[in-house]
Amino acid sequence: MPENTKTALVIGGGPAGMEAALRIAQAGFHAVLVEKEPELGGTLRDLHSSFPRWENPRELIDHRIGLLTKSRRVTIRTQTAVMSSVRQAKGFRVSLKSLGNGGREGYEDELDVDAVVLATGFELMDASVYGEYGHGIYPGVMTSLEFEGQLKTWAQRAGDIAVDAPHGVALIKCVGSRDRSKGYPYCSKICCMYTAKQAGLVKDLFPDTRVYVFYMDYRASGKEYEEFVRQVIEEKHVRYIRGRPAKVLPEDGRLLVRAEDTLMGIPVEVAVDMVVLASAIVPRPGTLLLAEMFGARTDEYGFIENEPFEPARSSERVFYAGGCGFAIETAGALNQGAAAAAGVTALFNEER
Amino acid sequence: MPRQRVVNPEEKFPTVPGTVFLFRSCTGSLEYPGTENAVKETLASLGIHALMDPDQTCCSGYLLTCSAHKPEVSLAITARNLSLVEKKDLDTYTFCNGCYGYLSELSHIMMHNPAYLQMANDLIARWGYRYEGKTRIYHVQEMWYRLRETIGQKVVRPLAGLKVGVHYGCHYLAKQYGILDDGGYPTFHEEIVEILGGTPVFYKERQLCCGYSVGRGFTHREETVQPHLFKKLTSARDAGVELITTVCPGCNVALDREQPNLGKRFGTVFKIPVIDLSQLIALAMGMPLQKLGFEANTIPLTGVLKKLGL
Amino acid sequence: MGPDFHTSFRLERIESPLKRELKDLFGIDVDTCLECGKCSGGCSNGHVFDYTPRKIVQLVKLGAEETLLKMDALWICLSCQLCLDRCPSGIDIPRILDHLREKSRRRGIPATRPAVGLFHDLMLDQVRKSGRVSEVGLMLRFNVATGQYLNDAGLGWKMFLKGKLHPFSPSVKSVKEVRRLFEESYGKKT
Repeated sequence: MPENTKTALVIGGGPAGMEAALRIAQAGFHAVLVEKEPELGGTLRDLHSSFPRWENPRELIDHRIGLLTKSRRVTIRTQTAVMSSVRQAKGFRVSLKSLGNGGREGYEDELDVDAVVLATGFELMDASVYGEYGHGIYPGVMTSLEFEGQLKTWAQRAGDIAVDAPHGVALIKCVGSRDRSKGYPYCSKICCMYTAKQAGLVKDLFPDTRVYVFYMDYRASGKEYEEFVRQVIEEKHVRYIRGRPAKVLPEDGRLLVRAEDTLMGIPVEVAVDMVVLASAIVPRPGTLLLAEMFGARTDEYGFIENEPFEPARSSERVFYAGGCGFAIETAGALNQGAAAAAGVTALFNEER
Repeated sequence: MPRQRVVNPEEKFPTVPGTVFLFRSCTGSLEYPGTENAVKETLASLGIHALMDPDQTCCSGYLLTCSAHKPEVSLAITARNLSLVEKKDLDTYTFCNGCYGYLSELSHIMMHNPAYLQMANDLIARWGYRYEGKTRIYHVQEMWYRLRETIGQKVVRPLAGLKVGVHYGCHYLAKQYGILDDGGYPTFHEEIVEILGGTPVFYKERQLCCGYSVGRGFTHREETVQPHLFKKLTSARDAGVELITTVCPGCNVALDREQPNLGKRFGTVFKIPVIDLSQLIALAMGMPLQKLGFEANTIPLTGVLKKLGL
Repeated sequence: MGPDFHTSFRLERIESPLKRELKDLFGIDVDTCLECGKCSGGCSNGHVFDYTPRKIVQLVKLGAEETLLKMDALWICLSCQLCLDRCPSGIDIPRILDHLREKSRRRGIPATRPAVGLFHDLMLDQVRKSGRVSEVGLMLRFNVATGQYLNDAGLGWKMFLKGKLHPFSPSVKSVKEVRRLFEESYGKKT
């Protein structure tokens, strides 16, 4: 394939962005992968394990970084942000800024690119809005991403960690999702799966700890997903209670969760040491700024929207993939990254 | 985007009114006249004149279940009372969560159901009353929070770290939207307590309803209300609360007058005095003790007053 | 739940005019109920209700109006409104119960707690007679009416001596208006 200098700007170095950059390079074009953190990997870096196969996300990140760094057609720019963009005849002139890179902080440079892939991922909603759950008030209450960090800490600690074991952990799903009153009406798609994962991990670390998952539904629609949740319930003995908790109260130094067991129709309470809130998935504020910069369309929540009949494209020469479009799991982000790359390469091939 | 429930007090009250209509509470004036005094005096020292009308009847709701019996009456009575206020072109301020809940709910129903509004107005028209829905319903606790800085500056008897457990009661926070704090974990009363020099105590059953409701305290006293109160007061006592504040004379009756009954029934002694938040504010701002009417309290205030050197 | 336990509950025969009624009168849409149970979880009296708040909404969906009008929960609900506050769909359960209470009274269905009905009648009577409610007077009449003559006597006497009680509440000035109001509305058809 003859060398072609058409270049795509991929914004965001998580699984979606890494995949897009890789596939664009493999197709013979150039990709500039911009990431504001010092390392590639996105939200995957914060995760201790993945569903449905209990794999280590670090292995996937390292594998992809290996391929990206070897590629002669990918330029990786970590600790870099996109400051502005001017649309040109067949592309954009973007201005990039270094965010602190050993002497290069504040350094700005300009780049001409022929297409853009937005892959800026998602974040979790601020759970302190739910005063009844006490996030930010009681130290034992945290969001699922914060809890993932706690799981990592426990797993990496050498020696006898049984001393750290909480006697009870309650995981509450749908905090901010499926909530027209204080949160967002939509379902954040992946929380049922990652909550099952986190619950299962606690039991693996501390078999004697009681783990409760408070759910309204459990949504396991994917390959091996249902089997995964059943394994957590049947083999790891996590107790699932159907009912959205009304309140978390402090009691004797522990946390009391009050809910209704809706299957029995009786009010129930349980005392635990930690409460994990599966907070709603929302787009990052930076995504909206980038959308405006590049003329991409967004929905009322700030997620990127596609053009009709073009699932990976948001506007002329602007593609997107992964969590910035909506809540998504790793496999989905990888697939969408590849789809965005396909859109880019189709465009580039057309204009050869 | 998620709907914002909580409103900034400065947004809700951009200007402080010079005169307000103070809605009289039956339980308030008859059981704890000191509360009404405290409200009037505190408003006055904040530069707000409180107008009352001897013609104003009981809200008739005693919270929300009285309407079951004669809904037309309740609507008409509410319309009549509020039209009295509208004649004076003022906003309505209550000092009872019950009156607040009741007036808000019924005025909302009338404003959204033209047939009900018409029926109510037809009934009261013969004496020249007409309700238009212009007067807005507020609770004085909102004004205390709005003017908390001013209150802080006027404190002459700081509370010496008195351990105060607040009781929010029900109907104000349950309104959900357009209120000054979130029902999930409210803190605005505790902020006021701190400004007065007290120590707020976040006891476990802080947000539990008092249980008295529309006379449930009479009809279900032993069955549901007393165990309910027992749970709440035990939680307060175990957390070391020295004084409980309320913003509803109904709640005050429940928490105050039932303590000796609970003592007899459950064999534990509770001696936690219960006063209205307005009385606590007035006390800190230097109102003379005789006017505060603490003689009306079942559980005496002597311990607390001694601690404050009074 | 249904009165007839010998046959299964036939879902295709379910209609709920009550659901329609609540939508038309108050804008309450029970279809938005996610059946999550957050209402019941926070209910102040949920542990003594025969049907918890979530079940009550479910009963509305199933059109089980008879059950709803005869249930005990109607009369021991405290109207604390915590269920409404917590509901992610904002379903006004206290309003549903108010409506059911009105309906059940109008239909003459005896309340499972007759004391409640009696209490409200006495209270409204006080408002009718004097425009104000005197809690003590109310309490006295209630105790007499339910035969609990000496219920609060001990406490009451002490309080009366201490000047805490005002058994006679001052009438409202235009009390005649209030009485006419009652008469007119009692006479009015609903």
